[in-house]
Amino acid sequence: MDQDITAAREKFLNQDFDEKSFSVPAEKTIEYARLCGETAERFLDASHPDFQAPPTYIASLSGSRALPEGFPRFGIGMDAGKGIECFLPVRPGTTITGRTHLHDIYSKTGRSGRMVFAVSRIAFYDAEGNLLANSDSRVVMREKS
Amino acid sequence: MAISTIQEVVFGEDLPTFEPDTSLATTRQFAALVGWGGARFSDHEAARKEGLAGAMVPGILNQGYLVAMIHHWAPNAEIKAIDTVFRAPVIADEKHTISGVVTDVNEADGQVEIDLTVANEKGETRVFGTATVQLPIA
Repeated sequence: MDQDITAAREKFLNQDFDEKSFSVPAEKTIEYARLCGETAERFLDASHPDFQAPPTYIASLSGSRALPEGFPRFGIGMDAGKGIECFLPVRPGTTITGRTHLHDIYSKTGRSGRMVFAVSRIAFYDAEGNLLANSDSRVVMREKS
Repeated sequence: MAISTIQEVVFGEDLPTFEPDTSLATTRQFAALVGWGGARFSDHEAARKEGLAGAMVPGILNQGYLVAMIHHWAPNAEIKAIDTVFRAPVIADEKHTISGVVTDVNEADGQVEIDLTVANEKGETRVFGTATVQLPIA
């Protein structure tokens, strides 16, 4: 692994750098589900006994910053993809807390040069501190040649 | 027929294709709902001025389409994880099709892996992803 990537990993990985609270309004999660094309009643009907936000709803929630202060600028960042992991349903009408850390930093070298990837993870918790879900955003930075 | 248990899933089977609502109206409503201002999601002409082929569907809406497709196939499926790569913009008002194929079935723990692709009418892949899904065990 490149030295600068190793140094960035040692300095920045797995340290929370942001915390933010999010309300989860039922009318918003229902509309989110509807626009995505969901038809399952547990996402669309607030009176359903297992009423919950659609799994990808958390991907729409952003922290106050995407990268930690002082993170090196390897190049202009672009959205390289998103991932989620679900552990417990997110219940509309509650408030959840998102804590952000860098989950991974790695590089790939292709014909056009080196690209550095940073995976920023928001871990969402309910009021009791249970981990509900993780939302990962991958940013790719193409180095100037 | 909708899938209700892991025993009904066949390795290598194709999920029923899904045509998401990629209309500009839906894209615009979604962008407003999640607080993503900007003409690139709501106005073809303004998006073209930004160098795009037209207004684009937000990446997270594409991710939502993929999950909705899985729920159409198996309404009680629980999404454990989904990872998506936004390879190229999905342009609003253009017809897109989502396909999916079962790439792993674990009957013991009820989990299935599905590879998913969003393609335009030219057959070009715009978004792809992999989902891990939990199904009831009969």
